[in-house]
Amino acid sequence: MTVSTQTVSTIQFPYKRTLGPVMGRFFSELTARRIVGIRSGERVIVPPMEYDPETGNELAHDFVEVGPAGTVRSWTWVAEPIESHPLDRPFAFVLVRLDGADTDLVHVLDAGSEDAVHTGMRVAPRWRDEPVGRIDDIVCFVPGEHADSPEGEPGEAQDVTTMEYFSKITYTDVLSPTLVRYANNLRAGRLTGQRCPQCNRVFLGRGYCSVDAILLGPELDEVLPDRGVVSNYTIITPTPYPGQKETEPFARASVVLEGDEMVIAQQQILDIPVSEIRVGMRVRAEWMPDAERDAAEITSKGWGTVAGFIKGWRHTGEPDEPAEQYMNRVF
Amino acid sequence: MTHERVAVVGIGQTKHKKRRDDLSIAGLVREAAQRALDDARMTWSDIDAVVIGKAPDIFEGVMKPELYLSDALGGAGKPVFRVHTAGSVGGSTAIVASHLISSRVHKRVLAVAWEKQSEGNAQFGLGGGKSGSIGAGGAFAPWIRAYIQKSGAPEHIGWQVAVKDRQNALRNQYAHLQLKDISIDKVRESPMMWDPLHFLESCPSSDGAGAIVLTDEAGGDAAAADGRAPAWILGTSMRSEPSSFNGRDPIRPQAGIDCAWDVYRQAGITDPRRQIDVAELYVPFSWYEPMWLEGHDIAPVGEGWKMVDRGETAFDGDFPVNPSGGVLSSNPIGASGMLRFLEAALQVRGAAGEHQVDGAKVALAQAYGAAAQYFAMWAVGADKP
Ligand SMILES: [Zn+2]
Repeated sequence: MTVSTQTVSTIQFPYKRTLGPVMGRFFSELTARRIVGIRSGERVIVPPMEYDPETGNELAHDFVEVGPAGTVRSWTWVAEPIESHPLDRPFAFVLVRLDGADTDLVHVLDAGSEDAVHTGMRVAPRWRDEPVGRIDDIVCFVPGEHADSPEGEPGEAQDVTTMEYFSKITYTDVLSPTLVRYANNLRAGRLTGQRCPQCNRVFLGRGYCSVDAILLGPELDEVLPDRGVVSNYTIITPTPYPGQKETEPFARASVVLEGDEMVIAQQQILDIPVSEIRVGMRVRAEWMPDAERDAAEITSKGWGTVAGFIKGWRHTGEPDEPAEQYMNRVF
Repeated sequence: MTHERVAVVGIGQTKHKKRRDDLSIAGLVREAAQRALDDARMTWSDIDAVVIGKAPDIFEGVMKPELYLSDALGGAGKPVFRVHTAGSVGGSTAIVASHLISSRVHKRVLAVAWEKQSEGNAQFGLGGGKSGSIGAGGAFAPWIRAYIQKSGAPEHIGWQVAVKDRQNALRNQYAHLQLKDISIDKVRESPMMWDPLHFLESCPSSDGAGAIVLTDEAGGDAAAADGRAPAWILGTSMRSEPSSFNGRDPIRPQAGIDCAWDVYRQAGITDPRRQIDVAELYVPFSWYEPMWLEGHDIAPVGEGWKMVDRGETAFDGDFPVNPSGGVLSSNPIGASGMLRFLEAALQVRGAAGEHQVDGAKVALAQAYGAAAQYFAMWAVGADKP
């Protein structure tokens, strides 16, 4: 079995925006089913801005209600919406010039079919049942002159000062031939690197020497010992954040491979309390069982990770090496 | 043909806070930029080009924020540049702006650097979005341990720097932390975050921005004639090195030594300890003060902690370091380097108010980033070079 030449990662985070006095006012007004712009000289800018975009000069807080109907100025049809799109059926992204505005608002138009959309058509908002002070309080625009509103009068405008912004990105990392070879060797239980012919330094999974800036090809591969010395470590008191699983202080150690070769950073030392980890400890790799080895953490960042293949490092019981010889070696 | 002389004629910064919930990101950078323009007696239209710096975009989750911020900074129709060199970016941003003038491409440039840490989470960002982030403290703690071991410095040195910078911050109205009752005991007894670093030996997480208006020689002369002393740039330098290779000295990186001596050479400094009056060094964790004193040859190797111990880097010492309160008191990451650079300029302009060091004529500013591998430094002076 060989490893894939690609790894897929997802990063997600619930960001929290502070809106400031001008965007805050815009989103507050949406909760009362009103759309406001701001006066900038002769023009009305929608959504409102804190400054004149042409000069940078600060604008007085002279808000103007616009719309709710407007005219489509340009559009593009989305035939196959994806998960992150605002509508789950085919729709158009539109630039709408709301009545009374001098700039265009980007939004979506639910028009049924591409044939029903044209520049110059009149549209009006469809309001969300329970407004929250976000741009999708306008669910979408619909053809016609009249807003599509829920029953009853809207309440007083709420004071909206922040906006949750959930961000998620999934990306594919294409592995270099060096990394694929490196990962395949890890899967076979071998730690390998390339030795630079110019400076004699060893690099893991990089394919180049960071010092001499020369390529290191497969002919320079060599198997490295899976034993080494703890050169330094950190004991981290974890801070909570979305996605953080650690709750208790944990240690991450750097291990210099035997023979003073490359450092493997951010390793776990197994079976001893974090308070007993010390610089100079001799350790040996504990490999994951064959069936559990996984290349998902191997990415093209060039740090020579062993995550997914080596579970951690265990004290060999041999006497320590002198600490001062190793301490500088962290990454 | 020699390069154009460059002057700092306008300085602005925000009140740095844990959360500036009164401002949008655009509002934050504009608060600093408007103050710098006002200080320079300029308006947006006087500026030829804008340089924007910040740390990784994942901190706020706004990709390429310079695009959204260009018109917020009066950049419509003007050259706008984004700089990114990790934690050193605030310094690099000021340097890039200065080069646009020293090369005679532009005459008046606005440099702005910022971070709004409260919108996201830096630990998350530095951990690549995964669980178990070691954060900056976790990354630097091993090197600090190595410095302590190698230099034989007593542990109170770190506590002493932590107290000194927080006491300096009490003089600076813009500083985030205002810890009136800070003491050695408080630092020592604060939780151990990244052994050997205690909580109070670490920088806070801040929202903030800094801005600098730079001009050519004529602009500096005009400000001086108007009774507004400029800061003259005496030297600038940026240096980098790979984070990881056998033989690297991460405690005293070669890039930091080279960067410093490049600046000293341009500024005519042969004895930095004697010829520099005040320094703003990037010290996000207390031990980095003695480490950079040695890393930039201000103190001999192994002697940096003794300067701290003798009180020489205190506000009233003979080599004050971080009179602003430093990164230990305000850390809007992307702006933190620029705050060092603009404080150095404030000092030689004699405009630092309650944190003014008496008679400061030559000031050094430094910022570093990532795995202590990117460096940006400048020296500024009261007298035209
Ligand atoms: Zn080499």
